[in-house]
Amino acid sequence: MIAQLRKLVLGETRTLPIGVASTLLAGLALDAAGPGWWHRAGGFVVLAGVLVTLGVSLRR
Amino acid sequence: MAIVLAVAAERGRRDALIGAAGAIVLLALAGLLIGPLVLARIPLEPLQVVVGVALLLFGLEWLRKGILRLARRRAPSSSLAEYLEEREALHALAPPADGPDWAARVVAGKGVLLEGLEVVLIVAALGAGADGLAPALAGAALACVAVCAIAVVVRRPLARLPESQLKYLVGVVLSALGVFFLAEGLGVEWPGGDAAPVYIALVLVAASQLQVAALAREAPA
Repeated sequence: MIAQLRKLVLGETRTLPIGVASTLLAGLALDAAGPGWWHRAGGFVVLAGVLVTLGVSLRR
Repeated sequence: MAIVLAVAAERGRRDALIGAAGAIVLLALAGLLIGPLVLARIPLEPLQVVVGVALLLFGLEWLRKGILRLARRRAPSSSLAEYLEEREALHALAPPADGPDWAARVVAGKGVLLEGLEVVLIVAALGAGADGLAPALAGAALACVAVCAIAVVVRRPLARLPESQLKYLVGVVLSALGVFFLAEGLGVEWPGGDAAPVYIALVLVAASQLQVAALAREAPA
Protein backbone atom coordinates (compact mmCIF):
# COMPACT_ATOMS: atom_id res chain seq x y z
CA MET A 1 0.00 0.00 0.00
CA ILE A 2 2.80 2.44 0.97
CA ALA A 3 4.75 1.45 -2.15
CA GLN A 4 1.66 2.06 -4.30
CA LEU A 5 1.06 5.44 -2.64
CA ARG A 6 4.67 6.43 -3.27
CA LYS A 7 4.32 5.35 -6.90
CA LEU A 8 1.07 7.33 -7.16
CA VAL A 9 2.64 10.57 -5.89
CA LEU A 10 6.21 10.29 -7.21
CA GLY A 11 5.51 8.16 -10.29
CA GLU A 12 7.34 5.18 -11.74
CA THR A 13 10.61 7.00 -12.34
CA ARG A 14 12.60 9.34 -10.10
CA THR A 15 13.44 11.46 -13.15
CA LEU A 16 10.12 13.32 -13.04
CA PRO A 17 10.23 14.52 -9.38
CA ILE A 18 13.95 15.34 -9.75
CA GLY A 19 13.30 17.24 -12.99
CA VAL A 20 10.36 19.20 -11.54
CA ALA A 21 12.41 20.05 -8.43
CA SER A 22 15.35 21.17 -10.60
CA THR A 23 13.04 23.37 -12.72
CA LEU A 24 11.62 24.92 -9.56
CA LEU A 25 15.08 25.62 -8.09
CA ALA A 26 16.34 27.05 -11.41
CA GLY A 27 13.24 29.29 -11.53
CA LEU A 28 13.84 30.58 -8.01
CA ALA A 29 17.53 31.28 -8.82
CA LEU A 30 16.75 33.04 -12.13
CA ASP A 31 13.99 35.10 -10.50
CA ALA A 32 16.49 36.30 -7.88
CA ALA A 33 19.18 36.96 -10.55
CA GLY A 34 17.11 39.01 -12.99
CA PRO A 35 13.49 39.68 -11.99
CA GLY A 36 12.85 41.99 -14.99
CA TRP A 37 13.27 39.53 -17.86
CA TRP A 38 12.14 36.63 -15.69
CA HIS A 39 8.81 38.37 -15.08
CA ARG A 40 8.21 38.58 -18.86
CA ALA A 41 9.79 35.40 -20.23
CA GLY A 42 10.32 33.05 -17.27
CA GLY A 43 7.27 30.98 -18.19
CA PHE A 44 9.00 29.73 -21.31
CA VAL A 45 12.05 28.74 -19.24
CA VAL A 46 9.75 26.70 -16.95
CA LEU A 47 8.11 25.14 -20.03
CA ALA A 48 11.54 24.26 -21.46
CA GLY A 49 12.56 22.68 -18.13
CA VAL A 50 9.41 20.56 -18.15
CA LEU A 51 10.00 19.46 -21.76
CA VAL A 52 13.60 18.45 -20.95
CA THR A 53 12.38 16.55 -17.86
CA LEU A 54 9.78 14.71 -19.94
CA GLY A 55 12.32 13.88 -22.65
CA VAL A 56 14.85 12.50 -20.14
CA SER A 57 12.16 10.44 -18.33
CA LEU A 58 11.23 8.76 -21.63
CA ARG A 59 14.81 7.60 -22.20
CA ARG A 60 15.05 5.91 -18.78
CA MET B 1 -14.23 1.14 -10.86
CA ALA B 2 -12.79 -1.95 -12.58
CA ILE B 3 -11.49 -3.26 -9.23
CA VAL B 4 -14.81 -2.68 -7.43
CA LEU B 5 -16.69 -4.42 -10.28
CA ALA B 6 -14.26 -7.35 -10.10
CA VAL B 7 -14.78 -7.67 -6.32
CA ALA B 8 -18.57 -7.45 -6.78
CA ALA B 9 -18.56 -10.11 -9.49
CA GLU B 10 -16.18 -12.48 -7.68
CA ARG B 11 -17.09 -12.02 -3.99
CA GLY B 12 -20.46 -10.25 -3.87
CA ARG B 13 -21.82 -6.72 -4.18
CA ARG B 14 -22.19 -6.12 -0.44
CA ASP B 15 -18.49 -6.44 0.43
CA ALA B 16 -17.47 -4.47 -2.69
CA LEU B 17 -19.81 -1.60 -1.74
CA ILE B 18 -18.74 -1.61 1.93
CA GLY B 19 -15.06 -1.44 0.91
CA ALA B 20 -15.73 1.33 -1.63
CA ALA B 21 -17.87 3.31 0.85
CA GLY B 22 -15.14 3.12 3.51
CA ALA B 23 -12.61 4.47 1.01
CA ILE B 24 -14.97 7.31 0.01
CA VAL B 25 -15.25 8.38 3.68
CA LEU B 26 -11.43 8.40 3.96
CA LEU B 27 -11.17 10.41 0.71
CA ALA B 28 -13.69 12.98 2.00
CA LEU B 29 -11.58 13.38 5.16
CA ALA B 30 -8.41 13.71 3.03
CA GLY B 31 -10.11 16.35 0.85
CA LEU B 32 -11.15 18.30 3.95
CA LEU B 33 -7.63 18.10 5.40
CA ILE B 34 -5.79 18.99 2.17
CA GLY B 35 -8.14 21.71 0.88
CA PRO B 36 -9.73 23.94 3.55
CA LEU B 37 -7.26 23.13 6.35
CA VAL B 38 -3.84 23.08 4.61
CA LEU B 39 -3.99 24.79 1.19
CA ALA B 40 -6.33 27.58 2.38
CA ARG B 41 -3.68 28.77 4.87
CA ILE B 42 -0.86 29.18 2.31
CA PRO B 43 -0.35 32.66 0.69
CA LEU B 44 -1.20 32.93 -3.05
CA GLU B 45 2.25 32.74 -4.73
CA PRO B 46 3.68 29.83 -2.67
CA LEU B 47 0.29 28.15 -3.10
CA GLN B 48 0.56 28.46 -6.89
CA VAL B 49 4.00 26.81 -6.69
CA VAL B 50 2.59 23.93 -4.58
CA VAL B 51 -0.37 23.54 -6.98
CA GLY B 52 1.90 23.70 -10.04
CA VAL B 53 4.33 21.11 -8.68
CA ALA B 54 1.47 18.76 -7.70
CA LEU B 55 -0.18 19.07 -11.12
CA LEU B 56 3.17 18.54 -12.87
CA LEU B 57 3.98 15.41 -10.84
CA PHE B 58 0.65 13.82 -11.80
CA GLY B 59 0.38 15.31 -15.30
CA LEU B 60 3.90 14.43 -16.47
CA GLU B 61 3.49 10.85 -15.24
CA TRP B 62 0.24 10.50 -17.21
CA LEU B 63 1.86 12.17 -20.23
CA ARG B 64 4.97 9.96 -20.04
CA LYS B 65 2.88 6.79 -19.90
CA GLY B 66 0.62 8.13 -22.68
CA ILE B 67 3.61 8.77 -24.97
CA LEU B 68 5.02 5.28 -24.29
CA ARG B 69 1.61 3.71 -25.02
CA LEU B 70 1.08 5.67 -28.23
CA ALA B 71 4.60 4.71 -29.36
CA ARG B 72 3.79 1.04 -28.59
CA ARG B 73 6.57 0.89 -26.01
CA ARG B 74 4.09 0.04 -23.25
CA ALA B 75 0.87 -2.03 -23.17
CA PRO B 76 -2.25 0.03 -23.92
CA SER B 77 -4.28 1.16 -20.91
CA SER B 78 -7.14 -1.31 -20.43
CA SER B 79 -9.70 -1.27 -17.63
CA LEU B 80 -11.04 -4.56 -18.99
CA ALA B 81 -7.62 -6.22 -18.53
CA GLU B 82 -7.41 -4.73 -15.02
CA TYR B 83 -10.90 -6.12 -14.26
CA LEU B 84 -9.97 -9.61 -15.50
CA GLU B 85 -6.62 -9.63 -13.62
CA GLU B 86 -8.33 -8.56 -10.38
CA ARG B 87 -11.00 -11.26 -10.77
CA GLU B 88 -8.30 -13.87 -11.32
CA ALA B 89 -6.38 -12.72 -8.23
CA LEU B 90 -9.52 -12.75 -6.10
CA HIS B 91 -10.49 -16.18 -7.44
CA ALA B 92 -7.21 -17.56 -6.11
CA LEU B 93 -8.02 -16.21 -2.60
CA ALA B 94 -10.45 -18.48 -0.75
CA PRO B 95 -13.39 -16.53 0.78
CA PRO B 96 -13.96 -16.93 4.55
CA ALA B 97 -16.29 -19.73 5.58
CA ASP B 98 -18.40 -17.33 7.66
CA GLY B 99 -18.34 -13.69 8.77
CA PRO B 100 -17.41 -10.60 6.77
CA ASP B 101 -15.11 -10.96 3.76
CA TRP B 102 -12.41 -8.50 4.83
CA ALA B 103 -10.06 -9.40 2.00
CA ALA B 104 -12.69 -8.40 -0.59
CA ARG B 105 -13.51 -5.20 1.32
CA VAL B 106 -9.84 -4.21 1.57
CA VAL B 107 -9.22 -4.88 -2.15
CA ALA B 108 -12.26 -2.79 -3.18
CA GLY B 109 -11.40 -0.04 -0.67
CA LYS B 110 -7.74 0.10 -1.71
CA GLY B 111 -8.71 0.43 -5.38
CA VAL B 112 -11.07 3.34 -4.70
CA LEU B 113 -8.63 4.98 -2.26
CA LEU B 114 -5.63 4.94 -4.60
CA GLU B 115 -7.52 6.13 -7.68
CA GLY B 116 -9.62 8.61 -5.67
CA LEU B 117 -6.65 10.15 -3.85
CA GLU B 118 -5.25 11.35 -7.18
CA VAL B 119 -8.60 12.98 -8.02
CA VAL B 120 -8.85 14.56 -4.53
CA LEU B 121 -5.32 16.01 -4.83
CA ILE B 122 -5.99 17.42 -8.33
CA VAL B 123 -9.37 18.95 -7.39
CA ALA B 124 -7.95 20.35 -4.11
CA ALA B 125 -4.96 21.81 -5.99
CA LEU B 126 -7.14 23.43 -8.67
CA GLY B 127 -9.64 24.57 -6.02
CA ALA B 128 -6.91 26.33 -4.08
CA GLY B 129 -6.65 29.06 -6.75
CA ALA B 130 -8.07 32.56 -6.57
CA ASP B 131 -11.51 31.45 -7.81
CA GLY B 132 -11.98 29.08 -4.88
CA LEU B 133 -13.15 25.48 -4.71
CA ALA B 134 -16.48 25.95 -6.55
CA PRO B 135 -15.17 25.83 -10.20
CA ALA B 136 -12.98 22.77 -9.43
CA LEU B 137 -15.87 20.95 -7.73
CA ALA B 138 -18.24 21.94 -10.55
CA GLY B 139 -15.74 20.59 -13.10
CA ALA B 140 -15.34 17.33 -11.17
CA ALA B 141 -19.14 16.94 -10.89
CA LEU B 142 -19.56 17.73 -14.59
CA ALA B 143 -16.95 15.07 -15.43
CA CYS B 144 -18.84 12.48 -13.33
CA VAL B 145 -22.13 13.35 -15.07
CA ALA B 146 -20.47 13.31 -18.52
CA VAL B 147 -18.85 9.89 -17.90
CA CYS B 148 -22.19 8.41 -16.71
CA ALA B 149 -24.06 10.00 -19.64
CA ILE B 150 -21.55 8.68 -22.18
CA ALA B 151 -21.80 5.21 -20.62
CA VAL B 152 -25.62 5.28 -20.92
CA VAL B 153 -25.79 6.82 -24.42
CA VAL B 154 -22.86 5.10 -26.14
CA ARG B 155 -23.07 1.71 -24.37
CA ARG B 156 -19.84 0.60 -25.92
CA PRO B 157 -17.94 -2.24 -24.32
CA LEU B 158 -15.22 -1.17 -21.90
CA ALA B 159 -12.57 -2.64 -24.19
CA ARG B 160 -13.45 -0.30 -27.07
CA LEU B 161 -12.90 2.97 -25.20
CA PRO B 162 -9.74 4.78 -26.40
CA GLU B 163 -8.29 4.76 -22.85
CA SER B 164 -4.68 5.37 -23.84
CA GLN B 165 -5.59 8.45 -25.90
CA LEU B 166 -7.91 9.80 -23.18
CA LYS B 167 -5.20 9.40 -20.51
CA TYR B 168 -2.62 11.04 -22.81
CA LEU B 169 -4.91 14.08 -23.19
CA VAL B 170 -5.45 14.24 -19.41
CA GLY B 171 -1.66 14.25 -19.05
CA VAL B 172 -1.37 17.17 -21.50
CA VAL B 173 -4.06 19.22 -19.71
CA LEU B 174 -2.68 18.60 -16.19
CA SER B 175 0.90 19.32 -17.31
CA ALA B 176 -0.15 22.54 -19.09
CA LEU B 177 -1.94 23.77 -15.96
CA GLY B 178 1.07 22.70 -13.86
CA VAL B 179 3.49 24.76 -16.00
CA PHE B 180 1.10 27.73 -15.89
CA PHE B 181 0.64 27.73 -12.10
CA LEU B 182 4.29 26.98 -11.29
CA ALA B 183 5.50 29.89 -13.44
CA GLU B 184 2.84 32.24 -11.99
CA GLY B 185 3.91 31.23 -8.49
CA LEU B 186 7.50 32.12 -9.45
CA GLY B 187 6.42 35.66 -10.38
CA VAL B 188 5.95 35.21 -14.15
CA GLU B 189 3.30 37.09 -16.10
CA TRP B 190 2.25 34.95 -19.08
CA PRO B 191 1.66 36.61 -22.46
CA GLY B 192 -2.06 36.22 -23.11
CA GLY B 193 -2.87 35.92 -19.38
CA ASP B 194 -5.37 33.16 -18.57
CA ALA B 195 -5.29 31.93 -22.21
CA ALA B 196 -1.68 30.77 -21.73
CA PRO B 197 -2.59 27.15 -20.77
CA VAL B 198 -4.01 26.75 -24.30
CA TYR B 199 -0.73 27.49 -26.07
CA ILE B 200 1.27 25.65 -23.40
CA ALA B 201 -0.92 22.59 -24.09
CA LEU B 202 -0.34 22.96 -27.84
CA VAL B 203 3.45 23.06 -27.27
CA LEU B 204 3.19 19.94 -25.08
CA VAL B 205 1.13 18.14 -27.74
CA ALA B 206 3.65 19.04 -30.47
CA ALA B 207 6.68 18.03 -28.35
CA SER B 208 5.07 14.81 -27.14
CA GLN B 209 4.01 13.78 -30.65
CA LEU B 210 7.62 14.22 -31.78
CA GLN B 211 8.64 11.93 -28.90
CA VAL B 212 5.97 9.39 -29.93
CA ALA B 213 7.29 9.38 -33.50
CA ALA B 214 10.94 9.07 -32.35
CA LEU B 215 10.20 6.25 -29.90
CA ALA B 216 8.03 4.41 -32.44
CA ARG B 217 10.91 4.54 -34.95
CA GLU B 218 13.31 3.11 -32.34
CA ALA B 219 10.90 0.34 -31.27
CA PRO B 220 11.97 -3.18 -32.24
CA ALA B 221 9.90 -4.60 -35.10
